[in-house]
Amino acid sequence: MVKTALEEFAFLIPLLPALAFVITFFFGKKMPSGGAIVPIMAIAASFVISLAITLGLLANPEEVVSQSYSWFAVLNIGILIDPLAAVMLSMVSFVSLLIHIYAVSYMSHDPGKPRYFAETALFTAAMLSLVLSDNILQLFVSWELVGLCSFLLIGFWYEKPSAAAAAKKAFLTTRIGDVMFLTGIIILTSDLMRLAGGFQDGTYLLRFDEIFSYIPQLSALQANIFGFEVSHLTIITLLFFGGAVGKSGQFPLHVWLPDAMEGPTTVSALIHAATMVTAGVYLVARTFPMFIAAPDSLMVVAYLGGFTALFAGTMGIVMNDLKRVLAFSTISQLGYMMLGLGLGATIGLEAVGISIFHLINHAFFKALLFLCAGSIIHAVGTQDMRELGGLGKVMPITAATMAIAALALAGFGIPGTSMGTSGFFSKDAIIEAAYLFGEHSNNWIPYLFSIAAALLTSVYIFRLIFMTFTGKPRSNYHGHESPAIMTIPLSILAVFALVFGGLTQTGFMAFLEETFANSFVNVDIGSLAGIGGNELVEAAGHEPLLVLWMPLIVAVAGLAVAFVIYYLRMIKLGAIASMKNPIYRLLYKRYYQHEIYTEFFSLGIVYGVVALLTQVLDVIVDSIVEGIGILTVGVSEELRRVQTGVVQTYAAAVIVGVSLLIILVKLIMEVL
Amino acid sequence: MLPVASLLILVPLIFAAVTFFTKTKKQAAGLGLLGSLATLGLTLYAYLNFDSNTAAMQFFESMEWIPSLGVNYSVGIDGISMPLILLNSIVIPLLILFSWKEDREAPNRFYGLILTMQAAVIGVFVALDFLVFYIFWELTLIPLFFMVNIWGGEKRVHASYKFFIYTHVASLIMLLGIFGLFYASWQQTGAPSFDIRELVAQFQFFESGLLRDAIFLSIIFGFLAKLPVFPFHSWLPDAYTEAPTAGSVLFILLKIGGYGLFRISLPMLPNTGSPDLMITMLGLLGAFSIVYGALVALRQKDLKRMIAYSSLSHMGFVVLGSAGFIALSVSGAMFQQFSHGLIMSILFMSAGAIQTTAGTRIINNLGGLAKKMPKLTVVMMVGFMASLGLPGLSGFIAEFLVFTFSYVNLPGFVLFALLAIVITAGYHLWAMQRAMFGVYNEKLGDVSDINSLQVFSMGAIALLVLYFGLNPSPVLNMMITNSEAIVSLAAALGV
Repeated sequence: MVKTALEEFAFLIPLLPALAFVITFFFGKKMPSGGAIVPIMAIAASFVISLAITLGLLANPEEVVSQSYSWFAVLNIGILIDPLAAVMLSMVSFVSLLIHIYAVSYMSHDPGKPRYFAETALFTAAMLSLVLSDNILQLFVSWELVGLCSFLLIGFWYEKPSAAAAAKKAFLTTRIGDVMFLTGIIILTSDLMRLAGGFQDGTYLLRFDEIFSYIPQLSALQANIFGFEVSHLTIITLLFFGGAVGKSGQFPLHVWLPDAMEGPTTVSALIHAATMVTAGVYLVARTFPMFIAAPDSLMVVAYLGGFTALFAGTMGIVMNDLKRVLAFSTISQLGYMMLGLGLGATIGLEAVGISIFHLINHAFFKALLFLCAGSIIHAVGTQDMRELGGLGKVMPITAATMAIAALALAGFGIPGTSMGTSGFFSKDAIIEAAYLFGEHSNNWIPYLFSIAAALLTSVYIFRLIFMTFTGKPRSNYHGHESPAIMTIPLSILAVFALVFGGLTQTGFMAFLEETFANSFVNVDIGSLAGIGGNELVEAAGHEPLLVLWMPLIVAVAGLAVAFVIYYLRMIKLGAIASMKNPIYRLLYKRYYQHEIYTEFFSLGIVYGVVALLTQVLDVIVDSIVEGIGILTVGVSEELRRVQTGVVQTYAAAVIVGVSLLIILVKLIMEVL
Repeated sequence: MLPVASLLILVPLIFAAVTFFTKTKKQAAGLGLLGSLATLGLTLYAYLNFDSNTAAMQFFESMEWIPSLGVNYSVGIDGISMPLILLNSIVIPLLILFSWKEDREAPNRFYGLILTMQAAVIGVFVALDFLVFYIFWELTLIPLFFMVNIWGGEKRVHASYKFFIYTHVASLIMLLGIFGLFYASWQQTGAPSFDIRELVAQFQFFESGLLRDAIFLSIIFGFLAKLPVFPFHSWLPDAYTEAPTAGSVLFILLKIGGYGLFRISLPMLPNTGSPDLMITMLGLLGAFSIVYGALVALRQKDLKRMIAYSSLSHMGFVVLGSAGFIALSVSGAMFQQFSHGLIMSILFMSAGAIQTTAGTRIINNLGGLAKKMPKLTVVMMVGFMASLGLPGLSGFIAEFLVFTFSYVNLPGFVLFALLAIVITAGYHLWAMQRAMFGVYNEKLGDVSDINSLQVFSMGAIALLVLYFGLNPSPVLNMMITNSEAIVSLAAALGV
């Protein structure tokens, strides 16, 4: 590995924002704007370093940055910047930088600014550390820390009971996933110890290269679960995916994400759209060599991802809260990314390419959508779309940039050319891969999920656009365009949402496919797929014309539906959007999941039955002890009277007791 | 080189004796602080001169006491005791600072008892002779009894007697085991000895498996009741809750039950008549306590009682890691003792501070305290997050080691105990949300934040929780060295 000066600074990428956290936390109150300048400078520096390393890596993808240091016992901390990590680092630091700048104005009236900037700086540090981990434990540690920051920032306005409740819900729901992730790590560690025959000097047990080198053996280890023979690799990858389901808001653990909108909108943009929620996708991509050797796990990833994409879309079309529409949209798009990865059984490494491509594009346009929503909330003071309308005229920049983001989300572009929004290239790639998968395996379910979800996406996002920006205002407000410090980040993101996909499409995916063949780790994906019994097929180029155009057709259809209903208002909404309509009610109530999870399961089963029974058991155990006490010496009453002489009593008791014991032991010893 | 081990007992004991004779609160607290700082200085001296790479006894001292029975005064420090001595020496001065501004009756006795407690606990940690060990073991009862009995809450009398009698009976059963060990070894070798390490080594040569089991079980009963774990825990919620804040923290620092496991029970374990059964029993008690403590904590209305049950849940890790019986699981159990002492100190101090200013600890009667007590909220949050096992803080290192490396031998128990993770997060966050966040409960009147000495003492412990969460090696390495010795001793015996 060539040591360049630049690599030596890689450790600064997470460290600078971490230092910014400390400075802002302790001294932010005394600085202008709550000390925002400190994290902004730090994150800007992290971005520059990340970008420089990425550009270097682009020229020479095999020369990855890899540094490891012992942490404790057989475990290490370290840095790995390969193509996958590099693009993530650049995106995270870039988006975080723009949102921090935007927040200077957005949060300017909030007295809690120093705490806000400290916590977002800590979040950025943890997220960057997550991305550049070279081992699964550091990734898990960072994973939990981003969760903590998410908890703190959702509950930023902690005096609001709904915010405090949403923060708790987010932490607990993702914690269910985290336990699965941790269980996966535990089983993996135990297996590696057994396979390696103890600990070898100089190797770090949980570093990715070490883990990947044991994939064939892990796959050969079989466990019997309820009569099914399952390989340990399948169990471990499924448990990892369980963690990803929690973090990336996949069904059935997605319920925390819409509620997380209680936090400031900048937090929603940064954490709950662009970065943290993609950590689950990143985890699956990072451990992709394990997944591809475990075909059952990949199948679960594909199905659950596809289903989530569709399922969240159905709820997106009935929400009236600006941010909640976007939250369901995020869940849905994360489902697409998971689907893309799950198709790896057919398309191999290209799955990582298309999924991460969509992740990056999504980060730009979804962060933009949230920041536009923030701009509206900042100007108008409400986020209920039923009270908005006609904002296009007063907020032209916000309206224009949000429209661009909507086009990117819906995936507008011309197939067969390089003309199109960012989302067009990445989402189409996933849908086409789903088609290829269907053709190859004669299983069309993932493809149908992805096409139906694309239709819903277009409907709900243009519904949002029309309800917000067109028509007449539906309540009294004086909208105004936001200041330049907010609109400039919007414009920058809009440019990326518009052209990033088209400019980078082929190069980007090819770059990512170099991730697992370099100086740090070199795995043969083809043979790993062989272990799992998969046969990879060459993608692209031979689909029928209809398939190529299908995504655009449904996007236009969705736009048309939204146009007819919400712009032309040709259909009376009252009849459909009424709580009397059972389908509408089911969607609006989010399939009653809150009721099922919270009231039935958490409160009913865990708190009501299990914890109650345990408490009863505790009373019984205690009563036995108290009973013995009363029977023998009459603990409470008798001794209360002699409490003045307790030391003497004690001394006497010890002497008598010890003498008796000695005699007793002597007797027992004689017998034995 | 200084005779550190003896000085670590003597210095706090002498300061305690003098403190009992002081007249004013200022003198008592000042002497208490001075004594505890002197002990801290000695501990740091010992720590800096300590070699983490050997499992051998360091700072060893020995002299004859009762030659006819083979009793010696022998003390020493190794990787099992060093971290626990460090824990005590760090927290006690901070505890004295924490309660510096509190007014209470008989301050001379209060601070004198704290120092007596410190001497007694360190005495247990350094003792290498069973008689010395048992004397200090029983001595720890006295300060704790009075702490609860004099300065405790409403039900202090009942709680103090319950604790005293319960653990005293358990100690007597332990003493029975010690005598059994003593006599059997005497028969075996023909020479009496009370030396802990020698008796533990002789244990394997006793012919009767039944005798070995009986000795092992009666000794470990004393340790398990002191830890405590289910089902020997019923003294804990009353005692921890009724004790004043300083008393609760002293209970937390009473790490002698777990210490006994590592020093005495684990080296004996492979040589019992039925080691598999013993391991299963310990694994079951540990895993069950983890889940049980968490579930009962979930239903507590009193903040302090919730923390007490949380402590029971955490103690389960000590037993589960011990039962895991490979070097890293045992190290995890040792690290849990160390980490738990720090974390629970923060939690009990937080509950104490809230009680003092708000006048209640009932979670539902609090609410929105974060607004009035921002400083407390920050340190309390660190404590709560550490207690629920957040990575980056010391609790995680312990839990991770115990879970991961106990899984090698006890997968079923670990998978069961993992259930507790979500429940643990649940009751911590629920309490935080109800007590600290939301709208301020105006009925509480005018509450005030913790004072600057309290910020310092709690903040210092919080920083240590963070430090050892990021860099556990300064204490973990010596634990690993000694755990390897315990486990390899067993392996060498062909078990």
